[in-house]
Amino acid sequence: MNENGNTRMLGVAAAAGLAGVVATGLVAGWERFWINWIVWFLFVLMVGLGCLFIVALEHVVGATWSVPLRRVPERLSGLALLMAPAALLALLSLPVLYPWTKPESLKDPVIAGKAVWLNMPFFSARVVACVGLWILAYRIFVSGSIRQDRDKDPRFNVRARRFAPVFMIIFGITITVVAFDWISSLEPLWYSDVLGIYIFAGTFLAGLAATMLAVLYLMKRGRLPGVKPDHIYNLGGFLFAFIVFWSYIGFAQYMLMWYANLPEEVFWYKARLQGPWGPLILLLAVLHFLVPFFVLIPRSAKSRPKRLFWVAVLMLVAHWLDLYWMIFPVLRQGLLFSWPELSFGVFFISAGLLWIRRAMTGGADMPVGDPFLREGLEFRL
Amino acid sequence: MSNQAFSVLGLFDNAQSLLDAIPSVKSKVSARLDAYTPYPVHGMEDALGLRKSPVGGMVFVMGLIGAIAAIAFELWTEGVDYPLVTAGKPVLSWEAFIPIMFEVTVLFACFTSGLGMLFLLNRLPLFRHPMLRSKSMPLITKDKFALAVEADGQPLDVDAITALLRKAGAQAIEVVEQPAPPDPISPSLLLKVAAVIGISCLVAGYVTYWGVKLFPLSIPVVHMLDQPRVDPQRESSFFKNGTAMRMPVAGTVARGHLPFTVPSQEEAAALANPLPRTDDVLKKGRQAFATYCSVCHGILGNGVPTLTSVYGAKPANLASQQIRDYQDGKIYYVIMMGKNAMPSYAADLSEDERWSVVHYVRVLQRALNAKDEDVRKETLK
Amino acid sequence: MKTETIALPEILKTAPITEGKVSIGSLDDQVLAHVEIKPPLVWFVAFAITSSVMLIGMALIGYTIATGIGVWGNNIPVAWAFDIINFVFWVGIGHAGTLISAILLLFRARWRNAISRFAEAMTIFAVMCAGLFPLIHVGRPWVAFWLFPYPNQRGIWPNFRSPLIWDVFAVSTYFSVSLLFWYLGLIPDFASLRDRTKGKIRKFLYAMLSVGWRGAASHWRHFERAYLIIAGLATGLVLSVHSVVSFDFAVSLVPGWHMTIFPPYFVAGAIFAGFAMVVIVLVVVRVTMRLENLITMYHLEVMNKIILTCACIMGYSYLMEAFTAWYSMNDYIHHTFKQYVAGTYWWAGWTTITCNILIPQLLWVRRFRRNYFTMIFVALAVTVGMWFERFVIIVSSLHQDYLPSSWHIYKPTLVDFGILLGSFGLFFTMVLLFARVLPVIATTEMKTVLPGTRPRHRGGEHE
Repeated sequence: MNENGNTRMLGVAAAAGLAGVVATGLVAGWERFWINWIVWFLFVLMVGLGCLFIVALEHVVGATWSVPLRRVPERLSGLALLMAPAALLALLSLPVLYPWTKPESLKDPVIAGKAVWLNMPFFSARVVACVGLWILAYRIFVSGSIRQDRDKDPRFNVRARRFAPVFMIIFGITITVVAFDWISSLEPLWYSDVLGIYIFAGTFLAGLAATMLAVLYLMKRGRLPGVKPDHIYNLGGFLFAFIVFWSYIGFAQYMLMWYANLPEEVFWYKARLQGPWGPLILLLAVLHFLVPFFVLIPRSAKSRPKRLFWVAVLMLVAHWLDLYWMIFPVLRQGLLFSWPELSFGVFFISAGLLWIRRAMTGGADMPVGDPFLREGLEFRL
Repeated sequence: MSNQAFSVLGLFDNAQSLLDAIPSVKSKVSARLDAYTPYPVHGMEDALGLRKSPVGGMVFVMGLIGAIAAIAFELWTEGVDYPLVTAGKPVLSWEAFIPIMFEVTVLFACFTSGLGMLFLLNRLPLFRHPMLRSKSMPLITKDKFALAVEADGQPLDVDAITALLRKAGAQAIEVVEQPAPPDPISPSLLLKVAAVIGISCLVAGYVTYWGVKLFPLSIPVVHMLDQPRVDPQRESSFFKNGTAMRMPVAGTVARGHLPFTVPSQEEAAALANPLPRTDDVLKKGRQAFATYCSVCHGILGNGVPTLTSVYGAKPANLASQQIRDYQDGKIYYVIMMGKNAMPSYAADLSEDERWSVVHYVRVLQRALNAKDEDVRKETLK
Repeated sequence: MKTETIALPEILKTAPITEGKVSIGSLDDQVLAHVEIKPPLVWFVAFAITSSVMLIGMALIGYTIATGIGVWGNNIPVAWAFDIINFVFWVGIGHAGTLISAILLLFRARWRNAISRFAEAMTIFAVMCAGLFPLIHVGRPWVAFWLFPYPNQRGIWPNFRSPLIWDVFAVSTYFSVSLLFWYLGLIPDFASLRDRTKGKIRKFLYAMLSVGWRGAASHWRHFERAYLIIAGLATGLVLSVHSVVSFDFAVSLVPGWHMTIFPPYFVAGAIFAGFAMVVIVLVVVRVTMRLENLITMYHLEVMNKIILTCACIMGYSYLMEAFTAWYSMNDYIHHTFKQYVAGTYWWAGWTTITCNILIPQLLWVRRFRRNYFTMIFVALAVTVGMWFERFVIIVSSLHQDYLPSSWHIYKPTLVDFGILLGSFGLFFTMVLLFARVLPVIATTEMKTVLPGTRPRHRGGEHE
């Protein structure tokens, strides 16, 4: 299969998916449409933000082993910006899915008390502010890095290193806002303060998995000369570590709510464990933790491209499952999975891959202007 | 010759020269090669052709055993052997057992790693190895690097090896003598001792478990029972009359028992029965009568009781003319204060119960002196 | 396209691990010498002070055990106070050591080698201090062995569902694994000492402790693998042990305690407090033992950056707690959080916020990160602030929870303060002893990161 053939195939798939997406709204109902939109919009956003976080992390720590790989997450972080219009479109879902937009919900004193935070104008302002901050970070990290390809000015590194810690704070707050606004407020009576960290863990993992896939893809085509299994080993190590971290946070949130058994918290889990959702969360635990954990334990596994490829794919599937499991039970209609979900999947995956392919053409595949590139390529375990 | 060489050492000044020397020596000798360095040198394993360490596999297996043993033990003790219900949680609450399972897994894995490495793989402690008495050892632990050609069964051609080492760049040569007699405390002895201790612990635990279950010979700790406080029904030297229990203060009124200040039965005639003559009241009266009064006065109230032989005294016939002529208040007075041999039943009956007994006595009196018009027409036929 | 190359700005240049000329031979002479010579007068004076404080603390503990917990300020509802605050405080301080020696090993941060030995030692001593408190606060310490699962005539097992038992397992695992890890790292150093020392008794002792280590490459490969694996497992321990400690509070219903963010928040706080203690001790060690060329300003600066990072994470956590407390619209949680900053113990709440979030912001300035006075000031503020944070969480939440009829003020007694000070005495006494008896820098590990010691690898792929 040559490149053009692939592109054509993806284009056809994207078009077919889009037809299915539109049909979902018209045929299956707008609730179904919007809930799928929210899940996929968050999925792609988290991949993009995760990649932006990876770039910022590399600058904060001043790591050199990752410099040859850095262009990959830089390009992928554009997905977060792509989601800006998707987020604005998603604002239309608020009256359909989010109970606090309905005036009669204010009869409940709990929701009425939160109304100063959960109201359309403030919500929209928060979305715009977050997107604005992400665009700012993108310009500093990514546009600056691409510019450095040409002018080879090491002052970009200084600027990036100075801004990176500030971005960490911005990232922490914006990802928490995303978690509380888009996911937690679907059930406005519920609250959990670790949700921001939980979504952060998922975001970082999604970014790592996407980066891993893109790096392996480029390595196979010889577009990253000098990048060795040693580099991949480090990336694999991070993947392993954050699989454990995500599982730890997920388990901690569940176990604490299970243990105290407070009705005002535990109803959220009850809806997500009963009926068909019980086996689904078991599947999530197996796919998101057990399988990748045991597959990646051996030292050799973390530098084998084939194994890492499949683990990264699994992580992205598991990430979608995580969002599906958190969001779909809101409808209280049982396990909804048929042509609407599949069309959304086909559309977003093919359109996403098309966009990524385009983003990866043009310009250098490595930050050739970075003064630490040579040191990074010489990295050995 | 009694002193055959154990090994020939070639000393080098730095790690690089040692590493460079190895291929030329390795290709020309059939004896075993080992290197002695002050710190672990990167790439030494590959240069010497040493097999990869199996520590990882050992740790994985033992970690898994630890995890399964921990969770099985927890589920058995809390769910099967002595089920404990805490805070209404199900007895097989796996969520609450995960933290300990994790800790025990890490414990097993770490100790396997550390002690397995020392005892099993490195065969340490070993205090009489010939290297430890060589002149080069202090140099090696400080800053020199040695390549050792060791005789494993076959005698070494010391001169040839010396020449080979010098040619490869050794700064100095030392010939290490034949080993001393084996250590009395060898790692295998330590392992055997550890195994014996471990197995005896398990056996002792099993035996103790069944022993204390089947033969509970020792008195459980009763510290909480044995306290310096006064218990009911016991003596106490603190009070003058020697009893721990005290009488209520004079004039104490029990709950539900108002003071009864009528001085005599004649004056009690003025009391009116406050309760109406309803079915409920009569039923209550019947029950109270059967419980307290019928033992002496008989179930029909006619003075034919079941206990005369014990008491000797003759209880009153409640259906007699004298008592039929009593006012309600006089009957009440007798219940309250007793009469002749009859004690007061004020403590046994509440006020309501006493008045309902009075009603019931009237019923009995009418029943025992029934006239035709008291009986229903159907019964007469 | 510009043809001129712009020079690399100073700030991007990687700092050297050591300053001046350090060879693997001179390293041994510099570091191991301290073990061989008599300590200076300053050491004896410090030891006298710390051991006296420790003995006073021990005496007060004896008094507590003989008389009962009533000599402390604990009451109903504040049934847990200084005892658990000190426990959480010391366990937290231990975590920095494991982070430095284990997690930074996994990240291959070469600067860690100069400070890992000391940090691990501090972990062990801190965990020892921590373990003291659960033991003495149980009221009947002579039956504390009931916490362990053994077949007994009562027929009952410990309640494995209780986070207090999880604590027993977690802290004892953490202590034994840290001890093992520390000892393994010491084996090659004991071998060096065995080969250098002249005294016969010392030689015998070091020979025993080094279990006949001879630096064979065939041994090193197993050693390195085992060490790396334990480092990886210890990383999991760092996360889990303080999370289990946080579970003590988070599984309950007490408003202000049942917040799901407690596990990662406590871990971040532990690392925060631990690094502050490490900075304080290392500055003293660096100056008094003249190790400035090995424990460089770069090391201190990086540790201060980590302290700053943790301060930001703590700030995030406090923000999240406050926001979620408001967002929950739960009157009891609202009341509790108001109490934190405006209630009986408002001064503790404000001390916490000032010391943990505001003062460490000084470390954004590079000059302050590299100045002894500012960094010790910040580190002391963090230590105090983290102790008060636990005070706020525990005492302030407990003294006014659901039922107003149960509300009661808590006042610590002199015995409480004495035991707290005694624990500091114990910690610093052990640190002083360690500095004189064992090599404070892991010389063997340090040798691997000195310039020129790592050979160029010839070809071949890794695994």
